[in-house]
Amino acid sequence: MSYAYLFKYIIIGDTGVGKSCLLLQFTDKRFQPVHDLTIGVEFGARMVTIDNKPIKLQIWDTAGQESFRSITRSYYRGAAGALLVYDITRRETFNHLASWLEDARQHANANMTIMLIGNKCDLAHRRAVSTEEGEQFAKEHGLIFMEASAKTAQNVEEAFISTAATIYKKIQDGVFDVSNESYGIKVGYGGIPGPSGGRDVNASQGGGCCS
Amino acid sequence: MQETEIHDLSDDADYAASQQQGSVTLSRCNSSKRSSVSEPEGAEIVYLKDNVTIHPTQYGSERISGRLKLIKQGPSLLMTWIPYSGQSSNARLSESDRNLYTIRAVSFMDVRSIHRHTPTLGWQYIIVVLSSGLAFPPFYFYNGGVKELLATIKQHVSLVRSAEDANVFLVNDFQDRLQRTLSSLELPRAVAVATGPSSPISDGRPPSYENQERTEVGTFDGSASLIQHNDSQRQNFQDPARDISIQLLEKFSLVTRLARETTSQLFRDSNSDVFGANERRNHDQTSHPYPSIVASNDVEEVPNEIPIASDPLEFDKLTLVWGKPRQPPLGFKEWLTFFDSEGRIMDSKALRKRIFYGGVDHRLRKEVWPFLLGCHAYDSTCAEREYLVSVKKSEYETIKHQWQSISPEQAKRFTKFRERKGLIDKDVVRTDRSLSFYDEDDNPNVNLLRDILLTYSFYNFDLCYCQGMSDLLSPILFVMRDESESFWCFVALMERLGPNFNRDQNGMHSQLFALLKLVELLDSPLHNYFKQNDCLNYFFCFRWVLIQFKREFEFERTMRLWEVLWTRYISEHLHLYVCVAILKRYRRKIMGEQMDFDTLLKFINELSGHIDLDAILRDAEALCICAGENGAACIPPGTPPSLSIEDGLLYSQEDDEVL
Repeated sequence: MSYAYLFKYIIIGDTGVGKSCLLLQFTDKRFQPVHDLTIGVEFGARMVTIDNKPIKLQIWDTAGQESFRSITRSYYRGAAGALLVYDITRRETFNHLASWLEDARQHANANMTIMLIGNKCDLAHRRAVSTEEGEQFAKEHGLIFMEASAKTAQNVEEAFISTAATIYKKIQDGVFDVSNESYGIKVGYGGIPGPSGGRDVNASQGGGCCS
Repeated sequence: MQETEIHDLSDDADYAASQQQGSVTLSRCNSSKRSSVSEPEGAEIVYLKDNVTIHPTQYGSERISGRLKLIKQGPSLLMTWIPYSGQSSNARLSESDRNLYTIRAVSFMDVRSIHRHTPTLGWQYIIVVLSSGLAFPPFYFYNGGVKELLATIKQHVSLVRSAEDANVFLVNDFQDRLQRTLSSLELPRAVAVATGPSSPISDGRPPSYENQERTEVGTFDGSASLIQHNDSQRQNFQDPARDISIQLLEKFSLVTRLARETTSQLFRDSNSDVFGANERRNHDQTSHPYPSIVASNDVEEVPNEIPIASDPLEFDKLTLVWGKPRQPPLGFKEWLTFFDSEGRIMDSKALRKRIFYGGVDHRLRKEVWPFLLGCHAYDSTCAEREYLVSVKKSEYETIKHQWQSISPEQAKRFTKFRERKGLIDKDVVRTDRSLSFYDEDDNPNVNLLRDILLTYSFYNFDLCYCQGMSDLLSPILFVMRDESESFWCFVALMERLGPNFNRDQNGMHSQLFALLKLVELLDSPLHNYFKQNDCLNYFFCFRWVLIQFKREFEFERTMRLWEVLWTRYISEHLHLYVCVAILKRYRRKIMGEQMDFDTLLKFINELSGHIDLDAILRDAEALCICAGENGAACIPPGTPPSLSIEDGLLYSQEDDEVL
């Protein structure tokens, strides 16, 4: 399927916060609590439409455990967007956000759009981090913020798409040089006329489709 | 051709005459004494040299000496090399070995080049490369005569010294200048086989000339010790980095020997189409800067316009003739034959070899795995093992009790314990849940996974728990079906793989670095490609190494691979050769599609479930033997899964966040 742009996303955050579940909910529109834990990195992809333009999101779902940080850092390269995820029922996953952010700032390109997601908001009765705290952290660090639930799908679509919209706006505003792939953006056949053709024209993985 | 094997037509004048019409074989023309004086009608010996020897293995006792001849027959020049028979010093060398390497006749029409090698010490040798890209094993000239050989060839066929390398002599000089240059570059593509397509393998039938050749034996025996001495000196003085492709060609003779059982079968069946196709490609691709003879078994065709550096150890279909064919798994009856009356395993090496080539029947794994993992000594008796199991069971219970006795009140004040337990709780329900053994809620086997991992984190407090361990434990529990025995098998496995989970990742980094060195040795174009594309961290192989390919194969296949790795039969680090083998299988796609790091990582991830284990194991075996000492030198001592070389602190951990 052709696309105007391809954006590389990376999902980061502590182990068990629901990174893989968010991805699966977004690409397959289902919640699967029993999937194998992520070793290294897994991939997902889906087409979305922003401003009537088909955009392919290629999403890297990383392992969360601290020991794998040195490997995870190599995945930041060339990411246009990042979803930084914590679990609203586990305080420590919120406390670790600063170190994740530091990694991202250090190893990703400076224009990467970061979306902070407080996952598992369906478990409000076990909440350990208030919405305001999440908002406050996002504000302090210049992130977009949403609470979401991979289980109920609440805000999942929105989180991925509003990140894409932000990146798209940055392109329109000329923040990115789209011919430079280190920004995590590839121009496809369905987009701006020009010599740079999209190499990666595989159909989106996992049954996702244009929305 | 077949007829020559069935009837000895050597003295039949009509037969000899019939062979003159462009035929490639002269297999019986020199079969009688008079052959050294006068060949059958129209054939003339123009060169003869005794004690021309091949070295199929590193062992001096396994060398095969023979007589090399050039025969002029009509317009054709042919080369034969007939090994002497009856080398009595040489019990390991069978008649079929000699037959395998025999060159009954190869026409110089089929020879591309001759590579002369003159070591500082030791004998001169040559490697004959056929136009198909195949090469014969190196011929060592114990009595000299290389110069004379080349001079003789030059009298009869066109022989041109390569402009690129003064030691390469091009036999079939091409009209096309480009082709000419290429033919000298294509040395690395050569693959040695015992007998090329033009010299078919006899079905183990003794050649009829052996009586005549036997007179030479004395010379060989008399010089055996000297040979050994000289050879070691030669190796010492040779710069290992000097010409890796030449070295690899030498190694091929080793591989050839390894593959001898399969060679005759496979070459008979497949050489016509494989090599036929290769030759066609070579002719078709005159404008192609790197005509590659890869027989395509890749997933998809690669765009033509991208030049791909050819594989120094040309692979793909040719690989089939390298490693030994897989055997059926070790079964119960055969298993019993390994024991003495008290239950000791008498020949552990034979057992490990057997498992290396065939694996173990699943029903036997519970018995066999504790040996392979080192929980049981091979020379222990049944009674000793029974006792050990019971002692270890109570030891396990003691360690398990340490965390079981932590009360909820204690736990409330013990954050690190809670976090550790929480992490394990989360991970065991995310481990192999698609298997019926672990599926559904409140599965007792999932609880066993948790208990064993938590107990291990108390047994090995420094290493603790890390993601990936549950993947390693799951098949063990599935096989052992016993908590304590699974625990101790897991402990034994972690003795070797523990460093994979070090906080500083040094165990992983050392393995990935060794992998880099192996690829550099075994496929330098691929290495250069990775280098140019900033892929030398080999993180795309991270998952393979961390959990020993657990996510790359289906469950049963993983168990098969693991037991093969655990035999440590040809190398402790076979898993690294497995990595190289897989990368080489897909090298053409990787380079042809110009994959960058991201694309490569994704591609490798998606290979999961699509890798043919048996083929890869054979490739890995062949690569490991091919790489030999140079390969072993790529892997520093103590690289996992070797036991750590340091005493004392096995797992130097920084201050843990999660206990």
